[in-house]
Amino acid sequence: MSTAGASPAPAGFAAAGSAAPASATTAPANLSEDQTAALQEIANIGMGQAGDSIARIWKQFVALSVPRIALVESGRIPTLIHHFVGDARVSAARQAFHGAMRGEVLVVIGRGNRDQLGELMGYDGQLDLGEEQEMLLDIANVLGGACIGGIARQLGADVGFSAPSLIGTDLDSHAVVRPEELCVSTALCVEVCFTIESNQLSAHLIALMPREELVNLAQLLDRFLCNL
Amino acid sequence: MDENTDLKLLGFIVERLEVGILAIDPQFRVVLWNRFMETHSGRDLDSMRGQCLFESFPELPERWLRRKIESVFELGNYSFTSWEQRPYLFRFQHNRPITGGVDAMRQNCTFLPLRDASGVVRLVVLTLSDYTDTALIQQKLTAAMAVSDEERRKQRALLRRLQDAKAQLFQSEKLASIGQLAAGVAHEINNPVGFVTSNLGSLERYLIDLTTLIESYASHADQLPPAAAEAVRRQREKLDYDFIREDLGALIRESREGLDHIRRIILDLKDFTRVDQSGWQLADLEKAFDSTLNVVWNELKYKATIVKDYRHPPQVECIPGQINQVLMNLLVNAGHALGEKGEITLRTGPDPSEVTGAVAEVWVEVEDDGCGISVEHQKRIFDPFFTTKPVGQGTGLGLSVSYNIIRRHGGRIDVRSTVGVGTCFRLTLPVQRSEVADAVSESPDLAAEVTPEELLALEGPDGA
Repeated sequence: MSTAGASPAPAGFAAAGSAAPASATTAPANLSEDQTAALQEIANIGMGQAGDSIARIWKQFVALSVPRIALVESGRIPTLIHHFVGDARVSAARQAFHGAMRGEVLVVIGRGNRDQLGELMGYDGQLDLGEEQEMLLDIANVLGGACIGGIARQLGADVGFSAPSLIGTDLDSHAVVRPEELCVSTALCVEVCFTIESNQLSAHLIALMPREELVNLAQLLDRFLCNL
Repeated sequence: MDENTDLKLLGFIVERLEVGILAIDPQFRVVLWNRFMETHSGRDLDSMRGQCLFESFPELPERWLRRKIESVFELGNYSFTSWEQRPYLFRFQHNRPITGGVDAMRQNCTFLPLRDASGVVRLVVLTLSDYTDTALIQQKLTAAMAVSDEERRKQRALLRRLQDAKAQLFQSEKLASIGQLAAGVAHEINNPVGFVTSNLGSLERYLIDLTTLIESYASHADQLPPAAAEAVRRQREKLDYDFIREDLGALIRESREGLDHIRRIILDLKDFTRVDQSGWQLADLEKAFDSTLNVVWNELKYKATIVKDYRHPPQVECIPGQINQVLMNLLVNAGHALGEKGEITLRTGPDPSEVTGAVAEVWVEVEDDGCGISVEHQKRIFDPFFTTKPVGQGTGLGLSVSYNIIRRHGGRIDVRSTVGVGTCFRLTLPVQRSEVADAVSESPDLAAEVTPEELLALEGPDGA
């Protein structure tokens, strides 16, 4: 029940491993071209499976974009999120994953029809603030679990998740991540957008892994490539 | 340790851990129920085993919880609830039977999928951690933060008021020193004007004497030899003596009028600034209008027609210098509103004959038929620094200073205005100074807005 459609990459967002010299991106020293291609393929499949599972549990048609992968200087992350999401007011949550792969997932959700979405997730009537926040956390958890879980499964990696936490509701998209909060200089960024068309709801999932953690990922990718 | 011991140990941990642990199968039947759950729910494992969770606990939010657990079975991923959004899943008594603070135990829950060897999720294990203490601390923190936010907000408001008051104080001091300067100049001019006036009187008398003398010579002209008489006649004609004699009177009269005018302006300036008498006194607002009008006349004379509609209300107790300052502001503003040409009406009231009993309040109005003030600007005209004049031409303080002066007199200042039709400002003052007016006028000038305690609070113990 899921479809994948290509969407153009925003300015300054080059595919990891590509030779495009952009100020915001640097060539991923820790991922070879083969590894990057493999990661792209794994992400495509993983996100597709995630879309299927999500469609199954929400019983809704879910469209998703082709995952975009790049190594990003952390100072560019807020701008990048704005590129992905646009000018709209958003809600956002984060969730950490750990184990063979370590990083954080940001889930940024546009306004959409919240009450209808709430109904979908088993809430009764109009949502109060607590329920809206809980729903946001649940969406972040489901998307994060499905996507990172999907990638990890293909890589045969064991990944755990901590409880998601709220960044905020009704935020400016620039304010989802503040540069001064970031503790890494460069991160691998995997972005995918889910759209539930009946709710006009779109959710951006942005998985970020510190560059230092890519050694593990590179090993996992090599193992994956050897087993092909 | 053999496997058996391991299992025993694990069983013991699951049983005794201070965390609620239960497991449910895809039909929502309970398969595990540890001691924490037993203790807090009052139901033991034997009575729970095989029971549908929702039948045993009908108060659970079934539709939502079913979806949540189904998604864990479906996706095989962890799921969570947090006390911040959902205070509890199971309504258990909290751990503070004595000290209290919350209605029920606050819980963080984790739903974890338990897969079999083939990777299919067979059970969902639900763990419940008691977060009551955290919640209580959080509650206190939130309350403390709200208090400190409120304090900060108050401090910011106070600071703003202090800045406004400072600016107004500066403006009123500036006006006062301009007034003093003007009064000083007026005083200096007064002396020469005095002796010029006096000399002019003497000069007039001398001229009368001189012309009398000349007339007397003229009456005896026929006794002169014919040649001399002819020379005098020709000289008289050449100098146009008859015109000089007529014009002399007019010149003297006009000079005296000019000097009178100078004297009146000096008097008005002194009256306006009142450097000699600065306290509360009875004053006639119509006189105040007239003397202020004379002071600003230069600004108005080419474009404004002044209409006076005076009803002779009683005198009011006020600080005349300050009231004059307000009237001057209103007159100058009215002049600016007129543009090229227009009419300014000065009104006073009420007419004492139309009021039964003693008059308690007196009002004065300055009305112009100028450009008017838009409704949204009307809300802001008394704000400090609000001005519609180009940069450098208005401080935006005139009306806010006026507002404070009138407020300290226990009076009101009201405006009604229609864009394109005109504006009318009305000052209403109590005839007798009120106690409120007394109290505010005691405190140092315009900083009266901020109390000394507030000032101390602003400055802080280190005086920062």
